[in-house]
Amino acid sequence: MKVDAVKTMKEIEEKLHFSGDLKTRTVQFFGVDVCLCYIADITDNMLLNETLIDPMLKFQGEQDGDIVEVLKNEVLSNQEVEEFERLQNAIDKLLAGNTLILVNNSDKILGCDMEKITVRAVAEPPTSVVIKGPREGFNESLKYNLALIRRRAKSDDLVVKTFELGELTKTQISVVYFNSVADKKVVKEVLRRLKNIKIDGVVDSHYLVSYLQKNPNSLFKQVGDAEKPDILVGKMLEGRVGVLVDGSPIALTVPFLLVEDLQNSDDYYSQPIRVTFIRILRLVGVIVAVLLPGVYVALEKYHYKIIPIEFLVTIMNTTQGIPFSPFIELLFVVLLFEILYEANLRMPQYFGMAMSIVGALILGETAINAGLVSPPAVMIVALSGITFYIIPSQAAQFSILRLLALVIGASIGLYGVLLFCVFLISYLSSFDSYDTPYLAPTTPFIKSDQKDLYRRDTIKDMIKRPLSVANNRKNLKRRDKNDG
Amino acid sequence: MTVNFRQLSIMTFMSFIALKFLALPSLLYTVSGDMSWLVALVLMIIDGIYAVIIVDLIKKNQKKNVYDFMKSILGPFFAKLILIVLLIKFAIVIANILKGLEFFVVENFYTELNWIVFIAPLIGVISFMIYKGVRNIARVFEMVFIAIIIGLIYIALKSFAGVDLLMFIPFFEFGVQPLFESAYVHLSWFGSASFLIMLFGCVDFKNAKKFNLIRYIFYAIGIVQLLYIVFYGLFDMTSPTHSFALSDVSQYYGGRVAVNELSWLVVSLWVVAQAIQCAMYGFCFVKAVMYIFNIKNSIVPILILDAYMLSWVIAGKNTIKLERFFFSDFASIITIISQYIIPLILLFGYLIKRSRQKRKHKVVKNEEIKVNI
Amino acid sequence: MKKLKSIFSPRKLIVWLFILVLMLTVPEITKPAMSQTEAIVTMLCVEKKDDKIDIATTVLTPSQDKKANYEVFTGEGKTLADAVSNVSLTIGKNMGFAQCEILALGENICDTGVMSTLDYLTRTKKVDRNATLVTFTGEAKDFAQVVSDVSDKKSLKLETIINYDQRYIIAQDSSIETFYKGYYSDISLGIIPKLEVKNEESPDAIEVQGQSSGTGSEAGQMPQTQSKKYLLNDGKTLAFKNGKKAVEIDVDTIKKVNLFLKDSKNGNVTVENVNDDLYSDASIVFSFVNKKLDTKSSFKNGVPKYDISFEAEFIIDEVIQENPTPEFLKRNKDFFTKEAVRRLKEQIKDDLEETIAYCVAHNVDLIDVYRTFHHKNYKEFEKYLKERKENYLDGIDYEISVKVTTAY
Repeated sequence: MKVDAVKTMKEIEEKLHFSGDLKTRTVQFFGVDVCLCYIADITDNMLLNETLIDPMLKFQGEQDGDIVEVLKNEVLSNQEVEEFERLQNAIDKLLAGNTLILVNNSDKILGCDMEKITVRAVAEPPTSVVIKGPREGFNESLKYNLALIRRRAKSDDLVVKTFELGELTKTQISVVYFNSVADKKVVKEVLRRLKNIKIDGVVDSHYLVSYLQKNPNSLFKQVGDAEKPDILVGKMLEGRVGVLVDGSPIALTVPFLLVEDLQNSDDYYSQPIRVTFIRILRLVGVIVAVLLPGVYVALEKYHYKIIPIEFLVTIMNTTQGIPFSPFIELLFVVLLFEILYEANLRMPQYFGMAMSIVGALILGETAINAGLVSPPAVMIVALSGITFYIIPSQAAQFSILRLLALVIGASIGLYGVLLFCVFLISYLSSFDSYDTPYLAPTTPFIKSDQKDLYRRDTIKDMIKRPLSVANNRKNLKRRDKNDG
Repeated sequence: MTVNFRQLSIMTFMSFIALKFLALPSLLYTVSGDMSWLVALVLMIIDGIYAVIIVDLIKKNQKKNVYDFMKSILGPFFAKLILIVLLIKFAIVIANILKGLEFFVVENFYTELNWIVFIAPLIGVISFMIYKGVRNIARVFEMVFIAIIIGLIYIALKSFAGVDLLMFIPFFEFGVQPLFESAYVHLSWFGSASFLIMLFGCVDFKNAKKFNLIRYIFYAIGIVQLLYIVFYGLFDMTSPTHSFALSDVSQYYGGRVAVNELSWLVVSLWVVAQAIQCAMYGFCFVKAVMYIFNIKNSIVPILILDAYMLSWVIAGKNTIKLERFFFSDFASIITIISQYIIPLILLFGYLIKRSRQKRKHKVVKNEEIKVNI
Repeated sequence: MKKLKSIFSPRKLIVWLFILVLMLTVPEITKPAMSQTEAIVTMLCVEKKDDKIDIATTVLTPSQDKKANYEVFTGEGKTLADAVSNVSLTIGKNMGFAQCEILALGENICDTGVMSTLDYLTRTKKVDRNATLVTFTGEAKDFAQVVSDVSDKKSLKLETIINYDQRYIIAQDSSIETFYKGYYSDISLGIIPKLEVKNEESPDAIEVQGQSSGTGSEAGQMPQTQSKKYLLNDGKTLAFKNGKKAVEIDVDTIKKVNLFLKDSKNGNVTVENVNDDLYSDASIVFSFVNKKLDTKSSFKNGVPKYDISFEAEFIIDEVIQENPTPEFLKRNKDFFTKEAVRRLKEQIKDDLEETIAYCVAHNVDLIDVYRTFHHKNYKEFEKYLKERKENYLDGIDYEISVKVTTAY
């Protein structure tokens, strides 16, 4: 095929529906028409001028052979240049920020990466705040994110497999793992699932979650996430596979264990005893958050005989005159909290303060004084709501579970809540995430993994990779035991 | 779908303590008095020995399920006959658990409880667990196991100050005969190792040490004995009037207690343990039905189990004669056969088969040598 | 067929099931709390009056402030079940006895037997067996009213008084469970503290104005009297045999009985007329701490022998003498003169012997003799009981030894 520069340029304009951001320019180079096509908004104009246009215009050398070769080897010697034989491939690259170089009567189209990357600065993600430790978080650029990972894993064992997903968005997806650590079956399965996706577009990493999960309709997530490179690399060192998506600051990790959400990156940068205490607190917090309203309603409705008399006096005195049944009262407060939370997320900052005061007044003072709700109900729901954010990534799940526990507690009582707990444990035990039991290492109990479960031993003592996660070299020591 | 050895040991532990803290202590006292703890001790030791025998058999026949194993040593007819006896045993245990659990929950937590509200969610949860398989049940046990042990020990120690150890003296105050009578009458509450028979082919023996199983059985016996001594030491002559051993002991502090100072957290865990126990025996029931009627899918047997549980809760209340029959002589005979005779039949059958195979192998080998010569 | 399958697909079935469950549970989940539909009884007083059962209950009712508010409701009937049902009619709620902490039994009920009352309440009405038993004199409604008023106005709870009794006076539990254990034992003995409702003013009593605070129908309403009613706790205790009152024990006797009880570690002994260099006609009150009482039972030639070894550390609490000698004022710590110690030992021995004599005279085994013999010398004791079951205490040979040490 011989390229007619001007004609091809017009074809490209047509293909892109004469988009306003498509710019073209024709330059004479050794008397030959050279057409440049680029998308102005995603091209670094300064780079374009400095590395291509100016050198072309000011070129002093002789034409040794094909003009395309001269352009590649002498004008663009500092740049990465690709050659395309098919127009569609060239257009795909044009849309990714390349500048296309159409040389009249040549048989190739050249493309040069002149992408202007405009992304958010690397900052600490709001849900992974640490007191001591790295504060870098991922941003929306895949390149930056991969760079952050490479900085932490300067090893030839790190594998990055990149491909495109999305018919229209053509989003870059990267699968990262350590070759000698990750289980080959898991890697194969992840790649298979991703490559089989037929979708119009992938805008965020969460689009891929339902494809990676075995039970996509389940309330419980089966794919982990990481917003910081140190978290991702830490998980990869245990055998997990990471999935990064261009345009998303959240990396996905598989396999996922429920206990991962009990752990925080901060845990590895603090004293072990303190961390053990905090983890137990988180566990207790989870139980309190989910079950407290349901248990309270059950006790008040059915089980006054097991409430100590002093508490009973308080409950009776404070609930006297409340027009609602205990369930409706608590449901009212729960829904009010949920509405406040949603409103708070979406309202403009300058309204935030005023609305917080209104919310507190409505719930705290006015509703109680008006006799619509009782103080214990408000306190219990508030306690439960605050405790959700001990584990923010599971807050959505807890919210639904809390509601279920509330309904069950109100309709059946404590017996129902207990059976609900049994059902929940049974349901979670039946899950697995890429052949890894969801509740490991609690059940099945894995003794060696207890060092980093509810308690945290020192890094020095955690010399073996966890057996809970499928990995390649299960008994490989992280480092030699005799090392200091 | 297999359970690992630790999970098997935990299931054995839970089965051993399952029915022991409801009405059993008070029932034992009515016949064997102060020496009831000895009755429980001896019967549990016998159960422990049988548990070890059965697990050994499972280990030697890891690739076979129970029906295939029994078929290979006894033939299909006797295999199904044994399964029918086991089915009845499991049905009795499930009925025992349901009865005890309903009274326990109602007496301790509610003033009254509609039977539908009691049984419907329980059936739902149990059916789900059985459908997901024995591994699921084992994992749930493993999850709650430590909390239950700690809770039981806490209750026993908390109430220990009020125990009058003098009441156990003299030993054998009424002779030895009441002990044998008590053991026979209450046999259906024991026989805790029979569920293991249904776990052929379901156990992964990697890193398994027999001592670990014995250790868990020992723990179970220890905890039961501790709680029995506390129970009888606290209540002495009034033991027959305390039908809910665990909750009654938990309310006793050995000093002044507030009314209804139930250690309801521990008692709640106990309710959870009973529900899981019911699921475990339900699984055994379902498996037995599947093998007897050659059903591949577990859904129909699960529905049969649900119907049985529902009918028991409805009919069991209204037919005291049926209840008496079910839980007395008939139950004892079934327990003797299922717990004490069947494992021995399986053991001797297996040994005989193995010795025959060895002889055959020897003969074949000798003939091969002859031919070679 | 396909359409049917799509209607009954598992996901849709779950949705239908959820809707069904919601419909069934909505009436239940919108019901009010049980604590508002049942009357929470915290104390029940039962008395027999003219062949009728008269009861008074204190019911926990909500109040505006943070304090517990109790109202008294009374009722009567031919049987206890009748009386309870009449009170329910008065209030318009079912009586919930699950939080009943105190069960008070009147004099007449104690005389005729309490077991049927206790059986009904614990087995049918589910009164907790840890509830405290107490006996009272006077009318049930007076007792309930006075108790309710005392707890309202003086922040003094009846439970506190009874706990004190149990710890320091009778030195044992007086719960329903303990009473049952005593009743079902071979000697069928139970001990319950006694409180009195007095009409006249008394310096020993906890003062309260006997005003009515009950609401409800006429049957339950307290008369608007101006008479002063007092709750008197003078340490009296009732001993029961076979569920009936056997003897009323005064506080002095019960304190002597305490010397025998292993659970009572503290107490005091008064010695009068001590005369020596230091004391002149003095009455000395000794308090003991860390008491140890060992009992040994044996048989010698078929005669039961009960050896009691009493050992305790003593301190001198109070010395009552008109004119202390100058020596008395000089000495700082050592008030344990030989004479004082000798007199103390004598007094303790006398007290122990008196207690034994009291038990023998009234045929009440307050000192655990039966239990000791039964558990330690079972066979010989059974033989002995064949002849003397009714008055076994009388034929036993008691040997007492006392050891006194001083505690500072």
